[in-house]
Amino acid sequence: MELEHIGKNEYELFFGPAHPGSGNFSVKLKVEGEKIISARADPGYLHRGFEKLMEYRLPLQNAVLSDRICILEPLNWNLIHAEAVDELMGIEIPERAKYIRVIMAELSRIQSHIIWYGIISIGTGFDTGFKIAFGYRDYILDLFEMITGGRVYPAGYICPGGVRRDLPQGAEERILKVLEKIEEMLEFERMENPAHLERMKGVGVLKLKDAIRLGATGPVLRGSGMKADVRKDDPYEVYDKLDFEIPVRNEGDAYARYMIGLEEIQQSINIIKQALNDLPDGDFIAKEFKKPKLAMKIPEGEVYVRNEIARGEAGIYMVSDGGTTPYRVKIRGPSFLHMIPVFEYLLKGAEIADVPAIYWSLNICPADLDR
Amino acid sequence: METDILNKINAKFEVEGEMQRERRIWVKIDKEALINLCKFVKEMGFEHLSAISVTDWLKEGEYEVTYHLWSYKDKILLTLKTRIDRNNPNIKSVVPIWGENAQIHEREMHEMFGVNFEGNNDLSPLFLEDWEGPPPFKKDFNWREYVREKYYDRGNEREISYFEEV
Repeated sequence: MELEHIGKNEYELFFGPAHPGSGNFSVKLKVEGEKIISARADPGYLHRGFEKLMEYRLPLQNAVLSDRICILEPLNWNLIHAEAVDELMGIEIPERAKYIRVIMAELSRIQSHIIWYGIISIGTGFDTGFKIAFGYRDYILDLFEMITGGRVYPAGYICPGGVRRDLPQGAEERILKVLEKIEEMLEFERMENPAHLERMKGVGVLKLKDAIRLGATGPVLRGSGMKADVRKDDPYEVYDKLDFEIPVRNEGDAYARYMIGLEEIQQSINIIKQALNDLPDGDFIAKEFKKPKLAMKIPEGEVYVRNEIARGEAGIYMVSDGGTTPYRVKIRGPSFLHMIPVFEYLLKGAEIADVPAIYWSLNICPADLDR
Repeated sequence: METDILNKINAKFEVEGEMQRERRIWVKIDKEALINLCKFVKEMGFEHLSAISVTDWLKEGEYEVTYHLWSYKDKILLTLKTRIDRNNPNIKSVVPIWGENAQIHEREMHEMFGVNFEGNNDLSPLFLEDWEGPPPFKKDFNWREYVREKYYDRGNEREISYFEEV
């Protein structure tokens, strides 16, 4: 943090980009005493230019690349990319692959929400929560290692046409065992904690009208009282066959957003249990992609695919001119709007001490902002 | 539902509309009529601007600006597409309609493609710091050449082997 004196009582404070409480992202705060007068986000620390990189690569290479869009939930980004290519190429995905995709996406969501809980805890001064969260997250990482081969990055496990490998033997039982463990952790999370209550109740209030105007989606929007979830409203894969609820809260403060994250873990557990129960037999990848040709052409056309990831609405706009690589890829990350307009808006008038609580309650990932 | 919305738009504007599949509508419109159409669809319930994107059609010498809109009420994704001249990329801003959300998307597109959004008062650089080259997402931007000129350290053996073989 750097401090610069600019007026009688005014200071300019630079928060980030290597500050432990900020992630790879910075924000310039103008403060008067303890109060923030204005904030200006300064992203770009993680800009890698995925949209351009993808124009030079084949869909199968892009599947691997799409992991890196967000470090905290690579499988969900895998899924969005795969869906965009599937839709452009008009590939019929085997039913089993759809179920495996949903199971993996939901495991990834739980894992991401657990990180969220851990990071909120450390941001509000409750270290135990951080350690518990990362301990339990490891159970899911073990599952990822068994199924995809990678603990954090699945290296394009969810690829165009389906998934790269079938679930290994005994995977279903192990997933159920891990879910039991996660429920154990939820018990712990549900205990009301003074650190969370004091630091987050009434902090960073976002009204529904502002949330829509600023482009908030996902838990942030639902924390402000809007019942909207892409899985329900614009269903993809097999979400329309599964029964789950959308947690909504009306308060709009940091605590409401945090509680939504907690309730969503339970919903994801329910989804995975149902999907495992209904999991059909059959192929796990479409026959066109069983032995993929490298120079496979993508038919001319354009699609806009939306998914609900842990952070909110994610989208890929893909245009093809009939070549082997996409002509243009636009990636819409949920954090792009949560970290710039929403965050700047919430910081105005807040206290410096509340910055970490507000920041982490938005569940943001600098990687999908900068791309 | 989808055809209803298309009919409503068709009744007021000269557009080329298409229903791609369930919940997906694509509409092509002239640059001049865009702002009026945007106001019209916002009132119809397309409150959420999911993304603004630009595609660089080098051969045609045109940029295609796309607006992806979502209606929470009707649960439909509407994409508005409009073409502008690539050498004179000016288009009216939609900030008065969708507010700060549009502002940040336009700022990004300005940086990456050099499109000038008239009426957007803050188009300062977003991701790139001290960038002197042309907008990097343009199709005719030769990034290999740019990197070779700007960042190639001829004294570094490892880099010589990389750059000279390309």
